[in-house]
Amino acid sequence: MDTSTTKAAREDPPAHLTLIVDLNPLQWELSSQASNDTPLSLSQFLAQLMIFINAHLAARDDNTLAVIGALPGYSVMLYSTDDSPPDDEAPARHQANSFQPFRMVDGRIASRIQEEMEKSTDLDGKTDRGLVGAITKALCHINRVNLLSVALTNNPESTSAMAPPSSQSPRMLILSISPDASTSYIPLMNSIFAAQKLKVKIDVCKIFGSDTVFLQQAAYLTGGSYLVLERRDALLQYLSMCFLPPASLRKVLATPSQDKVDFRAACFCHKKVVDIGCVCSVCLSIFCYPITRTSCSTCGTRFPLQTLKRLGYIRQPAAQANGRSKPNGTANGK
Amino acid sequence: MPAKDRDAYIDPDAEEDDFSAEEHDSVGSGDDFDQGTSSRGGKRGGLAGGKKGAEARLKSKGKGGDGYAWEGSISRTWDQVREDDGGSLELSVQEAIARARRKKLQQSGQAVRRTIIRHLVLMLDLSRSMTDRDLRPSRFDLGLEYARAFISEWFDQNPLGQIGVVGMRNGIGERLGEMSGNPQEVLRSIADRDKLMPAGEPSLQNAVEMARGTMSHLPSHASREIVIIFGSLTTCDPDNIFDTLEGCVKDKIRISIVALAAEMKVCRELCERTNGTFAVAMNEGHFKDVLFELIPPPAQLAAPAGAPGRSGPASSAAELMLMGFPSRLPETSPPSLCACHSTIKSEGFICPRCKVKLCDVPTDCDVCGLMIVSSPHLARSYHHLFPVQGYRPVMSMTQENPAGVPAQLACHGCSLPFPLRTLDSSANGGDAGDAAAADGISPLGRYRCPKCAKDFCSDCDVFVHDALHVCPGCC
Ligand SMILES: [Zn+2]
Ligand SMILES: [Zn+2]
Ligand SMILES: [Zn+2]
Ligand SMILES: [Zn+2]
Ligand SMILES: [Zn+2]
Ligand SMILES: [Zn+2]
Repeated sequence: MDTSTTKAAREDPPAHLTLIVDLNPLQWELSSQASNDTPLSLSQFLAQLMIFINAHLAARDDNTLAVIGALPGYSVMLYSTDDSPPDDEAPARHQANSFQPFRMVDGRIASRIQEEMEKSTDLDGKTDRGLVGAITKALCHINRVNLLSVALTNNPESTSAMAPPSSQSPRMLILSISPDASTSYIPLMNSIFAAQKLKVKIDVCKIFGSDTVFLQQAAYLTGGSYLVLERRDALLQYLSMCFLPPASLRKVLATPSQDKVDFRAACFCHKKVVDIGCVCSVCLSIFCYPITRTSCSTCGTRFPLQTLKRLGYIRQPAAQANGRSKPNGTANGK
Repeated sequence: MPAKDRDAYIDPDAEEDDFSAEEHDSVGSGDDFDQGTSSRGGKRGGLAGGKKGAEARLKSKGKGGDGYAWEGSISRTWDQVREDDGGSLELSVQEAIARARRKKLQQSGQAVRRTIIRHLVLMLDLSRSMTDRDLRPSRFDLGLEYARAFISEWFDQNPLGQIGVVGMRNGIGERLGEMSGNPQEVLRSIADRDKLMPAGEPSLQNAVEMARGTMSHLPSHASREIVIIFGSLTTCDPDNIFDTLEGCVKDKIRISIVALAAEMKVCRELCERTNGTFAVAMNEGHFKDVLFELIPPPAQLAAPAGAPGRSGPASSAAELMLMGFPSRLPETSPPSLCACHSTIKSEGFICPRCKVKLCDVPTDCDVCGLMIVSSPHLARSYHHLFPVQGYRPVMSMTQENPAGVPAQLACHGCSLPFPLRTLDSSANGGDAGDAAAADGISPLGRYRCPKCAKDFCSDCDVFVHDALHVCPGCC
């Protein structure tokens, strides 16, 4: 090993940060209502976020950044440091009190968010699955950037999709305000495992709303932190203390750890979050307990009768669909 | 079983005229097996086998055009990569990717029924023949290295499975590791190289019987499999191995063998009768390939068409299991006694039914008996059930884009722009596309998801299907 590589190994590699910003307009509206303890509106949030982004870019001149917005029903890349700046953007009037590159980044992110928010006002009814789309996009982007940097260093094994991150230590920060979308359980879990393979840490900052079980699992499984804001007006403080330092410093810093990780899953029949479920031994599909079906909807396996009896299935040939009374009084979604 | 079969321990296909003199030797030792005196028969067979093995291997590999591994030491994978006219490697790399893609296109849409709860006994040949250096650094070291990689990857894809390890040396089967669902524990059992040093002769029968005993108590919905890494050309057995084979067939044990030397009739028979696979490794890379092909959960024979869920032989083994998904306590929580070891500790998992604390998952709750698994364990195998459909290469923008829909400028996955020149060349992409179509390569570098009709770049296509298992456009 020559001296240059040992020196590089001792230094931290440049950090790549992917920010996933939850832009659900409904949730932001709820968040800014005065009835909250500490109302936080989208514009206040963005102002603090910009400072955080600038701090990340200022920490090292080769730090890279990607910002992805998660909107109801879809997700979109808002900004990436690999993008070449658009030519048509006239250099804005120079301001003495600001650093020009930061102003350009901030301006572009802000205008893109505005564009997308305006587009999405008529999409209210759409199911909330933008978040998992944003995560998959972030992973694709990280993978591609990894491959490109590997190809640059002339590694002959650059074709492998699992190539470990070469010089960067990619990180993902999810700023979440929406509740869990249990329809996206399987895609989200698959994304988490892909993140593990790419050695991407997923940090979650829950800005508004109740805990999300699945994002907790995402942070836990990838070695990131899950943080619930106690004082939302101090957002910037939280962001800069917990999520700005690179991964190598995390160990020293005692970032807030998760107190309890919920390993519940979503059932396949009603997409409901369950803590006890019936699992098909052939395909591991999860169904609610007590069981309401005689065969597996995923693989078509018919379950043995005595098992069904043991698990509380009551055969009611007449009224299959409705009006069924269960000993436990479980509500049937179907 | 006719005696003729047993005589031919070495498959005639692998033999050539050159060593017909030694052929007699092997027939003689083969007869000895019938008498069942393992020491005598084994020794004789072993001596002959060592020499014969080398030649048989030379022959079998010669057929494949590879020769001895040490003869082909200069040939390396990059030799297979050829430069194109412009001196670029791009094309052959693309071809390799395209080949994998084609395979994927064929695979998707196949039966989703797979055995997910698997039990496997990994059998390592630790006989003297493993010291052979035709695979570098030696069969033993390489086999050990790949066995470790195999175990890690196997648990990654079969998180609810269990592996036991059995070694074969000195004519007996040696239990190296008990059945365990903990990857670390299994890896520890073959971590110490010095304890595994090859010696003596292998005994397939003894080892298979041992594995069979380990798996005899398993529930019917779990699979029972044996994977053997076998470097010898002989086996010295105390009894008729075909009786053991019948037992395995009856117990529904699937045996797969990766042979490092040459094909043996008895090995092929073991695999074929139990629905396993048999393969002879040609070189280091091929060894790894054939071994790792055994990792994905085997697809179960689907129920007859039109009658899903009819209780056929496959579905009769299906069960519905009650499982609990715990929550995990952090290290900072107040210490309390755990139910499994009665020790005081802070971290642990809480049974959702009786709220008792457990040290590790997956496990059965010691108090209420509920099977406790963390849901990520289950979720790891879901990509086998809901595979992403293969993307189709886009051949020309003019043909495949509906009028009025603007062409996507950037990949829907990584959001990096598609190269612009491909858009210009799309006009004459028609005839060039035909040649590339067979290869599964898009001349435009675009691959389209049939479901969401979004375009992806080649890198994202590979990543989505190999690692992510979610289409960014569909989810
Ligand atoms: Zn349900
Ligand atoms: Zn099933
Ligand atoms: Zn314990
Ligand atoms: Zn319990
Ligand atoms: Zn892409
Ligand atoms: Zn799609």
